[in-house]
Amino acid sequence: MTPELIGRRSFLARTGTGLVLAGASSVLLPPRSAWAAPAKVGEPAPGFTVNATNGSPVGLSSYKGKIVVLEWTNHDCPYVRKHYETGNMQSLQRDATAQGVVWLTVISSSEGTQGYVTPPQADELTTSRKAAPTAVLLDTKGTAGKLYGATNTPHMYVVDKGGVLVYAGAIDDRPTSRRADVQGANNYVKAALDAVAAGQPVKTPVTRAYGCTVKYS
Amino acid sequence: MAIRFLAAALLVATLAGSGLAAEAARPPTVKTPAPPGPPRVSVTLLSETGSIEPGASFWVGIRQRIAPGWHTYWTNPGDSGEPPTVDWALPAGWEAGPLVFPQPERLPVGPLMSYGYTSEVVLLTRLTAPAGLPTGTPVTLRGRAAWLVCEKICIPEEADVTLTLPVVAGRPAPGAGAPAIQRTRRTVPTPSPWPASLRATPETVTVSVATPGLEPDRIAEVSFFPDRWGVIDHAAAQEVTIDRAGIALRAARGLLPEGPGSDLGGVLVIREKLDQGEVSQAFVIKAVAAGSGPSLSLVAAMGLALAGGLILNLMPCVLPVLSIKALALVGHAETSRGIVRRHGLAYTAGVLACFAALAGVLLALRAGGAQIGWGFQLQSPLVVTVLAYVLFTLALSLSGLLLIGGSLSGVGHGLAAQPGYAGSFFTGALATVAATPCTAPFMGAAVGYALTQPPATALAVFEALGLGLALPFLALSLVPAWRRLLPRPGPWMRRLSQALAFPLYASVAWLVWVVSRQAGPDGVALVLVGLLLIAFGAWLRHAARGAAPRWRRAGSGIALVSAAAAIALAPLAAASPPAASPTGASAGAAWEPFSPGRLAELRAQGKPVFVNFTAAWCITCLVNERVALRSPAVAEVFSRKGVVYLKADWTSRSAEIASILGSFGRSGVPLYVVYPSRAARTTTPQPRVLPQILTEGTIIEAIEKETL
Repeated sequence: MTPELIGRRSFLARTGTGLVLAGASSVLLPPRSAWAAPAKVGEPAPGFTVNATNGSPVGLSSYKGKIVVLEWTNHDCPYVRKHYETGNMQSLQRDATAQGVVWLTVISSSEGTQGYVTPPQADELTTSRKAAPTAVLLDTKGTAGKLYGATNTPHMYVVDKGGVLVYAGAIDDRPTSRRADVQGANNYVKAALDAVAAGQPVKTPVTRAYGCTVKYS
Repeated sequence: MAIRFLAAALLVATLAGSGLAAEAARPPTVKTPAPPGPPRVSVTLLSETGSIEPGASFWVGIRQRIAPGWHTYWTNPGDSGEPPTVDWALPAGWEAGPLVFPQPERLPVGPLMSYGYTSEVVLLTRLTAPAGLPTGTPVTLRGRAAWLVCEKICIPEEADVTLTLPVVAGRPAPGAGAPAIQRTRRTVPTPSPWPASLRATPETVTVSVATPGLEPDRIAEVSFFPDRWGVIDHAAAQEVTIDRAGIALRAARGLLPEGPGSDLGGVLVIREKLDQGEVSQAFVIKAVAAGSGPSLSLVAAMGLALAGGLILNLMPCVLPVLSIKALALVGHAETSRGIVRRHGLAYTAGVLACFAALAGVLLALRAGGAQIGWGFQLQSPLVVTVLAYVLFTLALSLSGLLLIGGSLSGVGHGLAAQPGYAGSFFTGALATVAATPCTAPFMGAAVGYALTQPPATALAVFEALGLGLALPFLALSLVPAWRRLLPRPGPWMRRLSQALAFPLYASVAWLVWVVSRQAGPDGVALVLVGLLLIAFGAWLRHAARGAAPRWRRAGSGIALVSAAAAIALAPLAAASPPAASPTGASAGAAWEPFSPGRLAELRAQGKPVFVNFTAAWCITCLVNERVALRSPAVAEVFSRKGVVYLKADWTSRSAEIASILGSFGRSGVPLYVVYPSRAARTTTPQPRVLPQILTEGTIIEAIEKETL
């Protein structure tokens, strides 16, 4: 979040003009797609609460002051498999969590669709794939997914220590399901995490996520 | 190519290997619903030609037959997905062009939007055979096609495609794939002849396409497919408004924080309601941001206009006019400063007044919805003819055959002796008229800017252009020191002015060529007769100068009559129809003028007829003619199918044509109607109306369908 943006927002909030503007523009603007305005990079990441596989509710507020990665997934999607079967996703998870980053894997597949799993199945996938997320969240109703505008699996988000969304988009710059393309790809998530750790702005903050559609109900 | 093939082969091997390994390592407890079984898409390689001609290019197509409920993707797949690819493994020396995608569909997937194809699609590629390909040995074309196919779930699939074709010298016969490929080529988006602009706010992106004069009621649907992600919200509804100016399409902005930037490419699909159902046509557009990127400030535009105007002085049609004025100054460097200055100012005023008049006409026409720019005046053969006359007269005068008198050119007359300021004013106007066929560097950008601005601003830019044109002479007349740089007067002046006649003759030759495009051989003949009359009149006047007053009067009288005759010929020349080229190879399909009687006669004979209801002032009509009707492919299908092409010119709004337009529920042009051949239909054939915006493909398809 740039200082000017915070300044403008707080100005709008203080003067009340924000509400008026928002009211007026909603009349004039063409309709957005179904999920209204998704989370915007550069603005505070929206809060959510979703049950983890162990049944406990987890949200961004649980990890205040920490860098958080959100990974939307569907274990049967060929694009997700590309990154798990090459070990790419797991090593990214391990490297990140080793540095104190919180990694939340989110499954928004609704019941009966591809990628939907029960809590034990999710844990089993973590074990068998040697994955290393902090927690796996079962967003069966798709509330978190729609809040963030997650369209694809994998779809990646990085939230900085101040709770601001600093990256949204693809895992890397090779939008294919070919495992061979993992090698040599420019990993946007890794770059974003490095930048945030170094206290620098993320160079490529928004990219087109690629993969399978998130199986919302 | 060899290296690419090797890379592709390696890739395929790696993929196969890793895929198998992954299959084995799969955890047993979580069931995978992605079913094996037959592929969702079957692919076939098709060729437009039945054989390969060495050195020739031909279209091939990868046909995807897609299982019901599944879809594959366009180049911009939308919110998710991946476009198909083909890795060609062609023999050495072969070249493959990029994949060409037909118009996509909007495919909603839950709250998301995909752009792609269902049921069947042919992806085209142009292949070029090496020139030295030996005939007799068949060649196998080979490629690895890969694609993502999705229903609720997505499956990447790939397959080898091959096709073996004989190599035969000479023009190949159509191949088995010809119908499918030709059908597809007609649905490939064609470059749009319409300018498109882009406007972005923090919340929305608006793409406007200048298609003036469309009938909004007939447009069933307009959709825009951006060629890249993140600029517009793919899934959001696109608000379409159609008015006099054209189509405007507004959508919520996409996720890219930087927005569209200076331009946004994409495909505009227009679905039009016609009596026989709907026709959908796709255009490639590039919307350029208004007020961003290379846009100009008023000052910069005026600067460019000034520079353009200056350079205009060097153009072959203007240089002689300027030289006439400059020559008049020669030898007057010291004398009569005030007079010289006033001549300079009068000349400048003439230029500026004429530019203001031109700009006024241009802006008024644009306000009426015409999409015209600089050079619009040359669209009228009448204007072109008159320009040719004016420049020819001027050239004759420079050649020394005609003394128009100081009032027009001032050649041979001292300024002090002949202070006709009106003459200088009209020379300025003449320079402007002579400049109108020309365009100079920098002018395009400046005029382009002017045409997007309010009239006052536009006028300022045009006047800057005029000032640039007037500047050299103005400077000479205002600064005596510069006049001293002019050479001493002498006999060289006559030679120079005679030599300068030739650029003008060249300009006349060019204008006659323009007439030949607009009014055909008859028009050219009439213009040439007009020029002859002018030359004759000039000679007669010249010859009679030294004669007795009676003869002089007679000479002048006859000269005047011949000039008047020339002027009378101009509208006739302008009214001649363009040449009806028999082969139509480049000039487009041959046509004849429309009359209800001729139409009835042709229909009684059972002949297929194409009627083009058009008007000279209808810019949509002219664009359609340029991009579609005059294409060689259309001419070819007209001649092959024996279609008689009638052109109904509604320029003068005849009531007869108006009533026919009315019978089709139209109040204006364009209107395109195909009357089927009688044998093509068992019942009484009904005429078929084509869309207001034509593409080559639409015409050809309609003709193929309505004829035998």
